[in-house]
Amino acid sequence: MTSMPETHVGGRIVRPYTMTGGRTGVGHPMIALEALVAVTPAGMRMRHRFRWEAAEIIARSRSETAIIELAALLEVPIGVVRVLTADLQEKGAVTITEPASESGSEADTPGYTELLQKVLDGINAL
Amino acid sequence: MASTPSESTGLTPVKIVVAGGFGVGKTTFVGAISEIEPLRSEAIITDASYGIDEVTADGTKTETTVAMDFGRISLKHQLVLYLFGTPGQDRFHFMWDELARGAIGAVVLVDTRRIEACFAAIDFFEKRRTPFVVAVNTFHGQRLHGEDEVRNALQIGPEAPIVFCDARVRVDVQRVLGNVVEHTLDRVMSEAAAS
Repeated sequence: MTSMPETHVGGRIVRPYTMTGGRTGVGHPMIALEALVAVTPAGMRMRHRFRWEAAEIIARSRSETAIIELAALLEVPIGVVRVLTADLQEKGAVTITEPASESGSEADTPGYTELLQKVLDGINAL
Repeated sequence: MASTPSESTGLTPVKIVVAGGFGVGKTTFVGAISEIEPLRSEAIITDASYGIDEVTADGTKTETTVAMDFGRISLKHQLVLYLFGTPGQDRFHFMWDELARGAIGAVVLVDTRRIEACFAAIDFFEKRRTPFVVAVNTFHGQRLHGEDEVRNALQIGPEAPIVFCDARVRVDVQRVLGNVVEHTLDRVMSEAAAS
């Protein structure tokens, strides 16, 4: 018997994709692992309408939190967080800030150079 | 309302990948500078998402769990730098593409006692044209080999910087991360000048 991955959150034992209705996020544009999720004022107002992981995502995103951090904090697979976060975004409950695109994919060399210089300055100032 | 939701405060996420063979010190490297304890996150990979088609005896699809370590560093200028350690085992190399997508660059950590353990990472970043810095992890503060020796053993050209660091030491890790960004900057500027 193959042991299926199970997720233990708040004493529940459910299979990971039960909470997404079986959706794995395939077919959606992939949200970056480091994309930042932030709750909106509307999301705060409607937070009682959400349950379980969706409610947790809203609670954790009161300060901007990356998709991968949410997955680690909620102890659910990244795919589940992607699907739930995309749902929340559709409802206007959260915003998702994708990372700046990497060099070569855009013609915006000056913008990318400026970003890199800021990152370097930030690292040196640590 | 008493609570103040953040909404977007204008933070920009950036990322650097930390690669290398199994047990070379990636988690130590990330932990030396991360403001959070390095966390472990799991991605469950299904055949649907990655084209792996394993079918169990009862006809259900199998799922594979791959764990990734990551750390976070808040920088000035409203930036948040995420460090991602690549899964060490060879069978998870297909995850590397997702980790490398959008990365500023990569650190390839090398243990000179097992230099071949990092070949896969170097091949991957060279093919993908992700800028990378080779960081020789000098356990116990010893430099067992010189830069030329390492470059020769790795069969890499002069363009990839080779630096030495102790993955346990914060200032060393800080310097290596700076080296990565500088290397990427050099490449972006020289490519812009050439075009």
